Amino acid sequence: MDPAVRSIDLRKTYGVGSAAVTALDGVSFALAPGTVAALLGPSGSGKSTLIKALGFVSPADAGEVYFAGRLVVKDGAALADLASLRRRHLGFVFQKANLTSFLTARENVEIACEFGGKPDGRRRARALLEYLDVAGRERAYPEMLSGGEQQRVAIARALANEPSLILADEPTAALDSVRSRTVMELFRKVAHERGAAVLVVTHDHRALDVFDHLYEMEDGRLRPYHPAAATAAAPPPA
Amino acid sequence: MNLALRDVRRHLGRFLGTAGGLGLLLTVVVAMQGIYAGMVDDATILARAMRADLWIVQRDTRGPFAEGSRLDPSVEARAAALPGVRRARPYTYQTIQRDHHGQIMRIALVGLGWPDDAGASLPLVRGRPLQQGHGELIVDASLGLALGTSLTLAGEPYRVVGLTRNALTSGGDSVAFVSVADAQLIALDQPAEATVLERQRVVERLRATDLGRGQPALEDLATDPRWRAPAVASPPVAAVLVEVAPHQLAAVRAIVGSWGDVTVYTQAEQEALLLGGVVQRARMQIGLFTVILTLTAAVIVMMVIYNLTLEKTHDLAVLKLMGAPRRRLLGLVLQQAWLLGALGYAVAYAVGQVAFPAFPRRVLITDTIAVLAPLATMIIVTLASVLGLTHVQRIDPSRALEG
Repeated sequence: MDPAVRSIDLRKTYGVGSAAVTALDGVSFALAPGTVAALLGPSGSGKSTLIKALGFVSPADAGEVYFAGRLVVKDGAALADLASLRRRHLGFVFQKANLTSFLTARENVEIACEFGGKPDGRRRARALLEYLDVAGRERAYPEMLSGGEQQRVAIARALANEPSLILADEPTAALDSVRSRTVMELFRKVAHERGAAVLVVTHDHRALDVFDHLYEMEDGRLRPYHPAAATAAAPPPA
Repeated sequence: MNLALRDVRRHLGRFLGTAGGLGLLLTVVVAMQGIYAGMVDDATILARAMRADLWIVQRDTRGPFAEGSRLDPSVEARAAALPGVRRARPYTYQTIQRDHHGQIMRIALVGLGWPDDAGASLPLVRGRPLQQGHGELIVDASLGLALGTSLTLAGEPYRVVGLTRNALTSGGDSVAFVSVADAQLIALDQPAEATVLERQRVVERLRATDLGRGQPALEDLATDPRWRAPAVASPPVAAVLVEVAPHQLAAVRAIVGSWGDVTVYTQAEQEALLLGGVVQRARMQIGLFTVILTLTAAVIVMMVIYNLTLEKTHDLAVLKLMGAPRRRLLGLVLQQAWLLGALGYAVAYAVGQVAFPAFPRRVLITDTIAVLAPLATMIIVTLASVLGLTHVQRIDPSRALEG
């Protein structure tokens, strides 16, 4: 089976000359359907740039991105309708829930169904909110929801079109540890039960056991992350 | 799902407030256009109401509205005798100011050639034309006089028998119509002392002539109030209005034009004189002001729509990231602009219905304005959306990822 998404030798540089910063330095990566992976790393290491490149939001300067086995971006050039790909096959979850402020919880999910061409959006939206345990808040506007509820609605929205790839950029940054773990477990549930590939950018090391794969970025380079090795390499507490 | 309506629903109070503000702005724009149209119409309505084909006035003048005109009343008979003339009637025009129950009334007094012209062609809304040559008048409703009201002019009572609508001068004064004879009586009204002095002057002139010295009994006649000295000229009229048989206009005009003591204008020329002379500057002033006001309104609408779009930048970036079709996002801005325009115009229409009749000058909403104003509003809001639409196009979906 083809990976849900695969990148080969992605490179991206911001700025020019002495001010140039390398955000992606030959990143090759693949994520299989039904798996959930965490992407760790310090700020400025290139995590968000990779998410943008894999999500067809801001392409890399060089390299290739394959989606379900099909080459869709090559050296920064789109070889397919990227907006349509995002609409039909991708789901995004952000650090803030980023719900559309003038739509209710249900409508936020329903509009995603509509964009993806899914019929019976209202019913689907209700079912997803129920799946994520926020059905009782379907008529509430985002500002009336707690942070955790907002994030659940955001995940429901990301799932609206049964995406084959979900990209989450620090989705638990604004949540406490209990709610963070709940959200991470939701991602695993979505991956394992619905067959989606899920890539989560996170700084939170407390819920790493939830993920199937762990990756780490540093200075634009991607490598597998091993918690045990990281703990051993860490300096002893003072 | 209609995103524009969902956004309006969420911010209903603010949206309605914005539409209300825009509506008041549009009210001013429409009012200026209406005042402009009213001024143009007022300037010519009096001339049009007379339904004359030709206006004969004093030689080398542009009377009777643009400047004073004094015409010998015999011109009426001369004109009436011409082949092709169906009717000729005298016309006088003067402005008077009278006190009525403590209120100052400024009236343009028009003399109609009773009995040929009883005012049947006037825009009567209540009452009737004149039925007698003395003591009756037709007034414009804007004077606020009811039918049957009695006005004292030149010491005699005049009863209001008819009411017109929008019979106004180019200066906005209300018009009253009486017979030419009454108009002259009112114009020539003088106090008793002046009459006594005038009679004394007639006696003195008689005594200075052979006629007076030879027939002293003539002095008795001069002091008789029923007598009028034969040397005193008949009061002049301001114009003679001529109606011509079909296809005879050019011929009649050529003949009258050849008379040395008069100048003749067609109805169209009389209206052009009014528009070109009497109200030209005021018309241009209001016209230019209307253009500036319309442009100002367009710029304000543009900024309002742009700001409404700007406030939604993050929401739009998220929707873009989710792959929202471009037409849905552009449609959001356009539909809100159209809704704003439609609501704004509805407010302007409602406010206008209440406020315009209370304006001191007539605000004339012509058919053209009634059709073009809403159309222009929708065109303006559509054009004003360009900034907002451009902003939507430029929103980078990756902004949604920046938190």
